[in-house]
Amino acid sequence: MQLTDASVSIRPRSAWEALDLGTLLARRHAGLLMASWAAVTLPVFGALSLLLWEQPSLALLLFWWLKPLYERLPLHILSRALFGDIPTFSESLKALPGLLRPQWLASLTWRRLSTTRSFDLPVQQLEGLGGTKRRERLVTLGLRSGRAASWLTVVGVHLEGALWLGLLGLLYFLLPAQLVQSWSWQDLLGLGSEWLWLEHLSNLLYALVLIVWEPVYVACGFSLYLNRRTQLEAWDIELAFRRLRQRLLGALPILLLACSLLLWPADKAAWAAPAPPPDATQAGPEAERLRNQPLTGEAARQRIGELLDQPPFQQRETVTRWRFGDTTDEQQPGALARLLETLLQGGKLWQGLEKLAQLLEILLWTALALVIALLLWRYREWLRTFGVRLRRPASQLPPLPKRLFGLDVTPEHLPADIAAEAERLWQEHPREALGLLYRGLLSRLLHDFRLPLKAAHTEGEILQLVRQLERAELSRFAQTLTRHWQDQAYGHRNAPAATRDELCAGWRALFAQEGRA
Amino acid sequence: METPEGIDLLLRPAGLVPRALAFTLDLVIRAAILLALFIGLGLLGTFGMGLAALLLFLVQWWYMVLFEVLNQGRTPGKQWLGLRVVHDDGTPVGWTSSLTRNLLRFVDMLPFGYFLGALSCLGHPVFKRLGDLAAGTLVIYQEKPQARPELPPAEAQQPPFSLTLDDQRALIGFAERQSSLSAERRLELAAILAEPLRTTREEAETRIHGIARGLLGPQ
Repeated sequence: MQLTDASVSIRPRSAWEALDLGTLLARRHAGLLMASWAAVTLPVFGALSLLLWEQPSLALLLFWWLKPLYERLPLHILSRALFGDIPTFSESLKALPGLLRPQWLASLTWRRLSTTRSFDLPVQQLEGLGGTKRRERLVTLGLRSGRAASWLTVVGVHLEGALWLGLLGLLYFLLPAQLVQSWSWQDLLGLGSEWLWLEHLSNLLYALVLIVWEPVYVACGFSLYLNRRTQLEAWDIELAFRRLRQRLLGALPILLLACSLLLWPADKAAWAAPAPPPDATQAGPEAERLRNQPLTGEAARQRIGELLDQPPFQQRETVTRWRFGDTTDEQQPGALARLLETLLQGGKLWQGLEKLAQLLEILLWTALALVIALLLWRYREWLRTFGVRLRRPASQLPPLPKRLFGLDVTPEHLPADIAAEAERLWQEHPREALGLLYRGLLSRLLHDFRLPLKAAHTEGEILQLVRQLERAELSRFAQTLTRHWQDQAYGHRNAPAATRDELCAGWRALFAQEGRA
Repeated sequence: METPEGIDLLLRPAGLVPRALAFTLDLVIRAAILLALFIGLGLLGTFGMGLAALLLFLVQWWYMVLFEVLNQGRTPGKQWLGLRVVHDDGTPVGWTSSLTRNLLRFVDMLPFGYFLGALSCLGHPVFKRLGDLAAGTLVIYQEKPQARPELPPAEAQQPPFSLTLDDQRALIGFAERQSSLSAERRLELAAILAEPLRTTREEAETRIHGIARGLLGPQ
């Protein structure tokens, strides 16, 4: 064993930290440890299950009982890996038969239930001690680490249980609900042979849990053992001393010079001499000084004190205030006592408590309301933004435009019977007549058909929108009217008289009934 | 961990076993508190039950958080085992991270009995469970002030060669831990340095004690 080859930093640790080191050690070699553990235990588990197919519990018990034997393999791997000699998978499996033989009976019988199993194993396997020697060695080693080793086993037992139940729970979650509902618990608990496979399955889950936990358990015990030996034998100091020695003996000539210098009679006491008290050599601020001059230090200090006591440095004022007499002080305990008395009087305690409960309830509800109010206030900006967004679909319509193409389209400013008015105007003012009809159309589109018209729309766009309404008659009428209106408005071409009748008839056909209705 | 001032802080993360024990202790304390509350408040009828329900909520959800934030990251169980919760950078744990790590306990518990938490704790290089990962916290061992052990009586000497910090530590450690080492082992260790110290194997031990005292200076 060469300490200089150790792959972990060797220093004395607390027992808990030693356990953590074990976890890290197991993590570093996790692949090899878990694979070799699985390669050993799973065949054993399979054989036991097949042999004892009718008694799954017995198979599990036997499998569990043999644990100390499997644990020898991870320890072998760890002890070699610690000093940099990591065995391969096949090497470690080949080493197993040799590891099993020593003291196998003791491990499986009177030492099986020892709580410090993982901690004892290195003594037995790595130091090869047995009998009384082993016991003495364990007493020496176990003085401080025994407690942690026991706790490790206790935690390990519970962790195994928790992981096992966790796996079972996971399996249960993954089952389809219909299957679970059709289970009857009598079937499961009864000894029906068709459920044996289920018990073997749960046993298998336990074997899987051990693959994860046991290497950690063995490694923790091993690191506890290492830590205890580091403490007892000061391995870290040995390492440091060896390093120092190597460095010094490499630099021997310089050392000789140093040694010759050392022969000078040096004042050896200087390193350990106590420091002199500070007052003896140096005057502190409180010491008397400046004694041989007109204004001595003492007088100066007095005058400074007087100056500091005067107005610029000190403000003194007298405050007169009214105070309550002592009566209140006497009243208070009396009032409290009276209150208590009334509360306790004649079995009223109960009512008092009920009232107190009500009061508390009210207080709690108030607190809840306050918290909600506070939250609303706190997030008012956010709510405003969000609220507006919610409201928009309801009141989505923007205010209807009042004028389109410079034409007034509000229904209030239009005559009641637009067709008659247009007919009347046609002869003298054909422009106004057509304009009136077009305004009427736009107004109807806006207010009756709720067409979202905007001031920016052109006549063509409006026609397109009308077409989207998918009303053939309206669409045709709008098209004719628009064409004539554009001719009139931009081209100043009067429409023929026949158009008048056509348009007015069209208007009446489309809108007259509604208007009357 | 290095602070902006260039000071190295050593954080020693705590592993599964002490943490599980601390948790169990906390669980027992909580159970005791709740039992006492229910028995005590059960006598008070509806009022008592209401109050008990409130306190149940408080104890169940806030016990860990309140203790961790207000008691320097230590619940009673952690304090007993010398553990502490801190942020990843070693600063004291705050409300947010403490709440996060304790609310996520319920993820760690899935599907049963801390299954995920235990696996994560075993597999993580600094032993974090999922709640710790989410909250960016770390459970570490608390530094305990230790009494300086008494050095064996020896006359202070100057070391005959220059020493690095590690060498000085080893020499002082040898002197401090001499009571826990057997006499043969002490001799064996001291003999390693006998040749560079130019003394015999037997006197090397006294020399080393003297150098250690010289390094430490007057007490």
